[in-house]
Amino acid sequence: MQFDVIIIGSGAGGAPVAHTLVNAGKAVLMLEKGPLLKPQYQDPRGLSDFKRDELFATGPEKILNLDLANRGASFFSSHIEPDLNDEPHVYRDAQGSDRATIEGYTAQVVGGGTQLYGGVSLRFSPLDLALASFNQERSDLADDPGGDVKREARDWPMDYAALEPYYCMAEKLVGINGTRANQIKPCSEDHYQTPLAANPISGLIAQGMDALGMKRYRTPLAVITRDHAPSGRKVSSDARTAFVNRYGDPLGYKSNTWVALLSPLAARPNFELRPNCAVTHLDASGPRVTRVNYRDAGGAARSAEAKVVVVACSAIESVRLLKLSAAMDWQFDRRIESNGLLGAYFLTHSFGGADARMPGRYDKSMTLDSDWATDFCGTESFLKANGLWAGATIYNNTSDRALPISLARTHGAQDLDNIWKAFVEDTSITGQRMVQFLDESFGTHLSVTFMANQVPLRSNRIELHPAVRDKWGRPAAYIVKGWHAHDRRLMDVMAEQCAKILRAAGAVDEPSKGGVYHDVSRIANHVLGGARFGAHPDDSVLDPDCKAWQFDNLYVTDGSFMPTSGSGNPTLTIQANAFRVGDVLLNRL
Amino acid sequence: MAIRIVEKDDYAILNYCAKYLARDNADPRHNFFGRWSDSDVRARVAESWRFPLIDGYSDGADFEAGYAFNEVTFVYQDAAAADAAVVGTFANLYEPLPLRRVADTPFFTLSIVVPKGEVHYYKFLVGGRALLDPINPQQKAMDNGVAWSRFFTQLASEPVSLERWEIAILGRLSAHILPFQTEEGRNFLSRFYDGLDAAARSTQYARAYRLDQPVGVVNFIDKLLAREENHRLADYRVCLRLIDRVLRQRNPYVEPALMPKEIYVELYEQMAAGAVPGWSYAEYSNPRFFLQLLRRHVFTGAFSHPKYGGNAGGAAWAYLEEKYRDREGHTLFDWRRIIEKPLGESTEYHG
Repeated sequence: MQFDVIIIGSGAGGAPVAHTLVNAGKAVLMLEKGPLLKPQYQDPRGLSDFKRDELFATGPEKILNLDLANRGASFFSSHIEPDLNDEPHVYRDAQGSDRATIEGYTAQVVGGGTQLYGGVSLRFSPLDLALASFNQERSDLADDPGGDVKREARDWPMDYAALEPYYCMAEKLVGINGTRANQIKPCSEDHYQTPLAANPISGLIAQGMDALGMKRYRTPLAVITRDHAPSGRKVSSDARTAFVNRYGDPLGYKSNTWVALLSPLAARPNFELRPNCAVTHLDASGPRVTRVNYRDAGGAARSAEAKVVVVACSAIESVRLLKLSAAMDWQFDRRIESNGLLGAYFLTHSFGGADARMPGRYDKSMTLDSDWATDFCGTESFLKANGLWAGATIYNNTSDRALPISLARTHGAQDLDNIWKAFVEDTSITGQRMVQFLDESFGTHLSVTFMANQVPLRSNRIELHPAVRDKWGRPAAYIVKGWHAHDRRLMDVMAEQCAKILRAAGAVDEPSKGGVYHDVSRIANHVLGGARFGAHPDDSVLDPDCKAWQFDNLYVTDGSFMPTSGSGNPTLTIQANAFRVGDVLLNRL
Repeated sequence: MAIRIVEKDDYAILNYCAKYLARDNADPRHNFFGRWSDSDVRARVAESWRFPLIDGYSDGADFEAGYAFNEVTFVYQDAAAADAAVVGTFANLYEPLPLRRVADTPFFTLSIVVPKGEVHYYKFLVGGRALLDPINPQQKAMDNGVAWSRFFTQLASEPVSLERWEIAILGRLSAHILPFQTEEGRNFLSRFYDGLDAAARSTQYARAYRLDQPVGVVNFIDKLLAREENHRLADYRVCLRLIDRVLRQRNPYVEPALMPKEIYVELYEQMAAGAVPGWSYAEYSNPRFFLQLLRRHVFTGAFSHPKYGGNAGGAAWAYLEEKYRDREGHTLFDWRRIIEKPLGESTEYHG
């Protein structure tokens, strides 16, 4: 087949582009590094490769065996996250040592990160897309003596109104439940499905938010609650199980991009999906990408050609792919690195929250990832009152520590790299103390999370590691990042807001609270920036259409396009933007 | 013996080959610091323990009937071979079963249906030669000294990694970690197992449950050390021998497995402190590290899905189900609602 477009990656950035183009009759080849794992209803055996099994989310021990500072460390990954020894991400820690981390991957599977995520599908606010304008005249920003925030903030090269129709499209086609009232994000068409009943423990959060005057709404979640016509999915049971965040859904109710967007196209003659195929590099001739080189499932070198190439491998891996291609061809390098910004302004979120033991005990196994959200901390008045440059969305987590093994392995754990650590080291938890541990923690805790913009800094960047290589012999991704003092201030303010909610909700003990500024490796799997789009070729990697400035046919549609990281989980915005780019491509093909 | 063969799509096989087996780089990234020699293929590929692949089985119609079986998928990687077959104890040993080549790949494959709870031995036949599976770490030398590759299906309870005396000591140590040695825990387990109906006793639970193990965690560890965490078998071997020696020094007249609870409590505390009188630090420098490893394995074994060999019949889940209830008596851990039949009661999820 002669392909019009090759899309590299099948997650939030790739699948919407495919959906638009294939439905318009364009010939599309999608290459995905990971496997194609199907839900029960698509399997002739009626069995899924995803299971309600705690050892699927966080598997058996593996041991790091690379020449890095944490050589010999144990790590515990999901069955669809890459093996760290084979495909490492390396970051520089606060002491300047290089370590591998399991943080910052999305997932390697058809559907990408949307297979494992909790499904929180927030829109960004109009303000999120205009932070340079909002902060330009301000003199009240806290902890920003060098004026970095004002200097580095960027408006997106499109306003909210331009993106809004694509939010509507994404919400309709992906399949999302939630409620609209009380959001500060304008909406022209409401496609939300009705939410399922909230877990009873979340009733406390509703009380807490109400007591503080925080207007609340049901957290938009990419989980269908009734039949979903666009994807042909049927609902015949209650989707609430705590096997949500970090679990693939064997029933296909979670709206990952495979069940929602790609499987409806699977039988089309103009669409070909090749799973288990890892793209190694792109070839170009002048301003045109001419060939996509990849390894097939058996490891054999293959290539494919098309008029247009869309890179959507998640931000770290997309930047790495472009840098690997540049390293093999100086002309490619000259074009993609023309202003030295590729990899720079890597972003994640300023995030954190608070956790407390609540009165009573609840069955947290019957839940989705979150029930209630508030935009209270995203308004201009709140930000000005607190000297902050950008806002946050706050929502409660219902599914965390809802299952017995997760209770132990996340006990005292700050991130995926030190899972199990506190539990195994606290040897006093044994026998009768084990009973107490269960009594105190099973079904009793509630956490509230904030998700906020991180100040963009050029020094936060993705590079190729000079020494560590992956299983194909290619340099690994190297993440160098830190937090700005203003990020720290923002995280402290937002964490206190989360703690206030828990106090007002009747927390038994003083909530523990905080942000992630103590740890540079914390990413929440929200990997963004590194190939930001913008209005000027000297200040961005991509043009407003997400096309690389110096190429005619190279587009990037995962989270790497973002110049700021938004006041909420990024997936819905990546999907909406990818639908927008799909329309751009339709106009040129 | 009639063998049921399952036809699987190529992509379903390649889903497991690309990530774990395909690569250019021949570095021994997976040698576990000497567990495998650097020239061994298992030092190069990821998660060699996954092979052969053991998965749930269903005919797509009767899920509860299928629940008694596993689907076992053999994978043999050899770009040059013209053909490959497998011979094993799951079929007549004189009857090789041919593997098919997955088009345009170096992989041969065959999927068969095997009852749960079984241990089997096999070899590949390639070009007229019988080969051990080069990827699967599990091998066993038979009485005649000849080695065979081995696999076991879910719920197997025959020991494959540990000796009986090791199992006995491990059972005692595990009992001290878990909540089931409290009076409440013991009472619960008696009620749980006494309350199982006859059908349940004669099917899955009978295979999985061993009365001398607290909810089967030692069986879980025995299987974990054969597959997923085979790299930790050496830790158990050394430490259980040292523990046995320490206990015998403390009481030369009683078998360690029969020593009073207080002896194990004392040993646990000493291991936690990293100072165990009589411990040979030259042979294993950090008893606390082993205790931490054991804590993770014991908790995981108790509360993971019973298919892994522990949590027999969902006993540990049922413990939480019974223990935590609201004022009206409704459980606050309704696991049965979301877990597949016949273990749970989900109307839709098939496991």
